[in-house]
Formats: sequence, structure tokens, C-alpha cells
Amino acid sequence: MFTTSSKFYVALTVLAAVSFGVYMILIGPSSIGATALFGMIAVGILFIWLSLHTRDADTDDEFASGAAADAPSRSMWPLVGAAGALLTLIGTLTTPLFFILGLIVVVATFVEWGIQAWADRASSDPAYNAAVRAKILHPIEFPVIAAIGLGVIIISFAEIMLAVERSAGAVLFIIVSSWVLAAGVVVAIKPNMRRGIITVIVVVGSLAIVAGGLLGNASGMREELVKAAEEDHFMHRECGPEKDKYTDKLALESVSSRSAVVATVEFIDGKLVAREQGVPGERETITIPRSNPSSIIFRNKTEGEFRLLAVTGKTMVSEGVYEVDEHCTQLIPAGAEQLLTLTMAKPTLEGGEFYLEVPGVEGQRVELVVP
Amino acid sequence: MVSAGQMVNRLTPVLRRLKFLPLVGFVALAGCASNAPQDTWAPEGPNAQMIDDLQKPIFAVAGIVGLIVFGAIAFAMYKFRDRGQPIPEQTHGKPVLEITLTIIPALILTVIGVFTVRTVFDLAKTSDTEMVINVTGQQWWWEYDYPVQEELGITKPIITSGQLVFPVGTKVMLRQTSRDVIHSYWIPKLNGKRDAVPGRVHLNRLEADQPGIYAGQCTEFCGLSHANMRMEAVALSKEDFAKWVDQQLADYQAPAEGTLAKEGETVFLNQCVRCHQVNGLKRADGTPAIAAPDENVVSGAAPNLSKLMTRNTFAGAMFDLVTPECRADVWDASRETFGEKYLAGVSEECLNQTDLRSWLRNAPEMKPMYANPALLTSTGGKYRGMPYLALSENDIEKLVAYLLTLK
Repeated sequence: MFTTSSKFYVALTVLAAVSFGVYMILIGPSSIGATALFGMIAVGILFIWLSLHTRDADTDDEFASGAAADAPSRSMWPLVGAAGALLTLIGTLTTPLFFILGLIVVVATFVEWGIQAWADRASSDPAYNAAVRAKILHPIEFPVIAAIGLGVIIISFAEIMLAVERSAGAVLFIIVSSWVLAAGVVVAIKPNMRRGIITVIVVVGSLAIVAGGLLGNASGMREELVKAAEEDHFMHRECGPEKDKYTDKLALESVSSRSAVVATVEFIDGKLVAREQGVPGERETITIPRSNPSSIIFRNKTEGEFRLLAVTGKTMVSEGVYEVDEHCTQLIPAGAEQLLTLTMAKPTLEGGEFYLEVPGVEGQRVELVVP
Repeated sequence: MVSAGQMVNRLTPVLRRLKFLPLVGFVALAGCASNAPQDTWAPEGPNAQMIDDLQKPIFAVAGIVGLIVFGAIAFAMYKFRDRGQPIPEQTHGKPVLEITLTIIPALILTVIGVFTVRTVFDLAKTSDTEMVINVTGQQWWWEYDYPVQEELGITKPIITSGQLVFPVGTKVMLRQTSRDVIHSYWIPKLNGKRDAVPGRVHLNRLEADQPGIYAGQCTEFCGLSHANMRMEAVALSKEDFAKWVDQQLADYQAPAEGTLAKEGETVFLNQCVRCHQVNGLKRADGTPAIAAPDENVVSGAAPNLSKLMTRNTFAGAMFDLVTPECRADVWDASRETFGEKYLAGVSEECLNQTDLRSWLRNAPEMKPMYANPALLTSTGGKYRGMPYLALSENDIEKLVAYLLTLK
């Protein structure tokens, strides 16, 4: 009944189950260790079933297929598995990315090689064995290969777009999408076109994009992106002199950000005008919910560059010493806009210094209220 | 003559086929409940009426279509049932029939679509807003804050929870958001449901024709106590609403020295103010007592308890602050007397001491709230909901006396 390897896996699974029980009692269920031990039990059960089902691939076994006496087909998987193991080892010494990639390769090897070995013993007919293998593995292989291929194309295209100038990128995008559309139209009009031609079109197009991506990666990102990254403009919120030159001052192109803000503040010909979403008319105060990230659109409609400054109380930095809490947008040119997100944890009960203003412009404040 | 036994034998197969009939009857009877405060078919405001005006004809049309379809299926099943006859000639395609059966549903859906889109736009209208209330959901209660609106007498922001109070015949705009996960605000008799999403402000109109209390329920699964996240919208006449605003804007009245309530204030300052704000409450040194729920609660907020005794509920409207008799007195009041009874707030006689004391004694036992510190590793030790505070009976006595003064 039990084969040699199944006995081993039974013992391992029982050991894991006992460890799992002891772990749950002594340490508790919320730790990752319990999950790992549970995973070990599951894998153990799978291997027990596999080893029993394949009778340890023992061709002399009375339960095994009599047709499984031929030598197994050639396989690249031992080599791939060894490379994966090596990558995993390198990953433990260098970066987790290699470790994870290695692990994926090792797992893929186990699956592919295991199923191939099992399929090789299905019968004495190699064609039938190949069909058995394909029936099990193709539903996994095709989507995975397609996803990887698509990922490579997307990354390559992104590399191209990051490397070329902004205007050139737009032109390139139009050209590539037009070619894709044209190819699609041709295939649609002539559905009986020879398969080889379609293959050539797809392969040549994909290779061109991948080659472009490699070239783009080699030449590096365009200068303004490099500078913007150096400026780390997501972190800089300085309200003094502008330090950022390349930061995106039009950082408000997403519909989701626009559609559900707390308020819109416009600087129109030197006057600050605030409107709260859903409230008719102009507002002198903006209500911000407590402890809730709340977004405000600042739109500059005055000639010159201006920023919106939010003063949100003060924080004690040392005994008796307070620092004013300031948050602001970058300097926004006329016609541009930017989102300012505020999170205010305490209510503005006693009034005081909670307001929005444009630095350098007197008498134009919008009060902030946190109930 | 058929014997009783034969009759039973004949009826048994029939009765077996009808065994689901009691269940159908029970479901049908459930629709006749007279006490159904969250009945979607009984609108009591223009917005809910708009939805009702749309849904009833659609249900009627859908019902007729359903009857026709099921009737046709039943007819086909009966007429062409297997009687051993040869299989008729198999054909494919009836262009006229297929096109007709495509056009008819398309036309029905187009008509429904036109009226639906018109209703959706009417419900999304903001230009005629007469009043604004900010609604913030968090696990598992709703906070309502009223921005300054001089024309309504709201000269300072008002904040409350559990019960949304607004004037009848006024187009109220709820600006909804959430502090933690997605919730959904729904007062079935006044409007449809609208999600409250963190980081976003969603608009929702509300208007009631008559004074009264309208019940609602969070309708987006939001965690352990989702089913206990209730709300009540209280519509007052415009005169009564003005009185309610005056109540809410009144200055904080500290309890008199030497009273039990004053001792309760001290307990509150030592224990409760870590999360709960009472506007106007000051510490012994005269500085305002500012709550810091952001340091203790995952959502960053706990109900503001200013004017607590002007509300009828607590703990996310899960429990009544008043006894069942006093609650019935308010809920069943005539439209003329409702406002007066609601504005009377919670008296000592009406206070639901049992639930309030149990809540103060061990809140997580009353309402599931992930409050076990052993399970809070992922939240950095912050609570979801009110934790067990290990208050002594003496402290609870003092706190109840103090809370009764919050009017």
C-alpha cells in the first residue's frame, strides 16, 4: 500500500501537524510560523498523494503501468532547477529580488519536471504522453507565458517613453498605437491570412519594442525626470523659497483626485476664492474632518507663480517651544493647479491659527475648521 | 365512496409538492409588517419618492416580462413534453423572431434607462442645496458635523453622532466620507444609499416631509460590528430645529463643586478624554481638554460627547440612551408634539441606566469591536471601538452623574 517515499512524507506531515498543534497552544495563531507549518502540512499531503499515485515511479511495481518501462524523455528542467537554486542562494547573499525569482524558478521546475516525469509513464506512446502533459500544463503555461510576454512589452514601452522627450513620446505613442490599430484592421479584414504572416508581424513588432526598451534603458531617463527624482519632490513640502525646478506642477490629472475633493481654492486676479464641494457659493471657512486625509485643489488664475500655504496650528518641539505647522503646494504657474492633502487630528476648538493663504498676498485668508 | 385512507393517499403526493408553500406564505406575510422603519417602499421625502416613482413602474414591467417568460417556458415544457414522439426536424435561425426579441428588450431598457438617468441626475443635483452636513463614517458609528451656516443660525460648527438632526422641508446635502474603511449611508425612507469612502467626499441629498425619526443602517460590510452600525435621522420642524441649534451652541456648563457629577468630570478627564471630546471642558489648570483619539483609535476619532444627553442613542445608535417607555413616547409622538419631546433630551428618569452602565463597565462585551489588546499587533496597539477600561463601580456611578449633565 505505502511506498517508500510516501512513508517519508507521512512521517513529515505528522511531525508538521504535531508541531502545528504545539505552536498553536504555546505561541498562538497570529504568528507567521503557524501559517508556515500549516503550509508544510498541506504540501506534505500533496506529496503523499503524488507518491502514492505514481507508486514512486517504480516501473517494477505491480500497480505501475506496464507501459512505463521506457526511458523518460529528455528534459531541460534539471538544468533550470539548478539555475533557480543558484539564484536563490545568490539572493540570500545579495538582494531579496533574486531570492524570490530563484524560488519561483525552483517551484516552476518542481511542477514542470514532476508532471513531465509522471506523463512520461502514462503509456508507451510518446504522443499520448505528450498530450497528457499538455492537457495538464498548457492551461498553466499559456497564461503565464502570455503574462510574462505582455509584461516585457509593457516594461519595454515604458522604458522608451521614459527615455525620449515628452513631445517625442506623444508622437511615438500615436505612431505605435496606429500601427497596432492598422495590424488589427488587416487581421480583421483578412481573417484567412496566412498564419505565418501574422506571426511575423507580431514577432517583429514585439522585438522592435523590446529592442527600443533596451536602448531606452541604456540611454537612461530624460534629464528632467532624473532631476525630479534627485529633488525627491514627493517628500519636499518646503514653504520657503522654491527648491524644486522640475517637479510636476500639473500633478492633478487623475479623475479620482478631481472628483471627490473637500474644496477647491482658486487664486483669481489676486483674490482667494474657496468653494466646498456640494455647497453653493463662495466660502470663508473650509471644514476638514478630524483625522482624515482631506484634499484641496489649488488653482492659480493670476499671472505669475503662487503657492497655497496651509497653517494647521502648532506643535511643541521642546518644553515651551512651538513650531508652526505649515503645508503647501509648489509654486504654481498661471493656469495650473495642484492637490494639497491635509490631515488634522485635533479639533480647532479655540480658534486661532488654522487657515489657508497665498504667501505674499495680504488680507486673503480662508479659515480652516476641524470640528 | 372514497375512504379516508384513500383520500390521504391521494392527497399525500399533492401535499408533498406544496411543502414549500408555507415558506412562500411566510415571506409574503413578512412584507405586510406594519412596524418596518426601514421600508424602502414607504418614502417620506422627495428624494426617496423620486426613487419610488422610478422603481415601482420598473418592478411592474419586470414582473410582466417575468410572467411572460416563465409562462412561455411553462407552456413549452408542457406542450412539447416527452411523450415518446419522434424528435422533430431541427432548424437553426429565425431572423425575424430574433430581431424582434432583440428590439423589444432594447426598447424596454432604453425607456427605463432614460427615466433612470433623469432620476440619477435629479438626485445628484447640488444647486438647490439649503443646508450642508458633513457625515463621516468609521468603525462602527457615524459622526455628523454642521459647518457654519449663518442663515440657519449655525454660527459655530456643531458636532454630534448617532442621530442626524435636520429641519423638515429643507434640501440637505450630506458630504460623506470615511476615516477607515468603506461604509454606506442609507436612510431608506429618505433616499437611496451612498458609499462613504476614505479620502473622498461623496454627496447625498436628504429631505423629509414630516417631523419624525427615520431609521437607517450601514449597508457596506465594514467589519465585525457592521450590523451594529446604525443611524437615525431626526427631522424637526424649522422652529424646533432652531431650538436644537441653540441647544448645541450653548456653552459648556461645568457641574457644581462638591457634587457627584463634578467627581465624574474628574474621572472623565482622567479616563475618557483620551478619546472623547467635550467642547468647553477644561483641565484643572484652565487649559482646554483636547481629546487625542488619533493616538488611541485606529480610525483617529471617537464620538464627541458634547450635549450627549440631547441624543437618544449611543454606541453607534446600537443602544438607546432612554428607557423603552421614554423611547416609545418620542417615536410614537404626534407630529405636533414630536419636536418638543425630542428636544426635552434625556432626563434622569428616562436615562437607560442599565445599558449605559454595562457599556461603561465593559464595552467590548456589549458590541464586538476588536478591543482585545492581545489581537492588536497589526494596529500598533490602537483600538477599534471602545476598549475595556476596568472602571470601578464607584467611577461608573460618578461618570453617569456627569454624563447626565451634558445637555
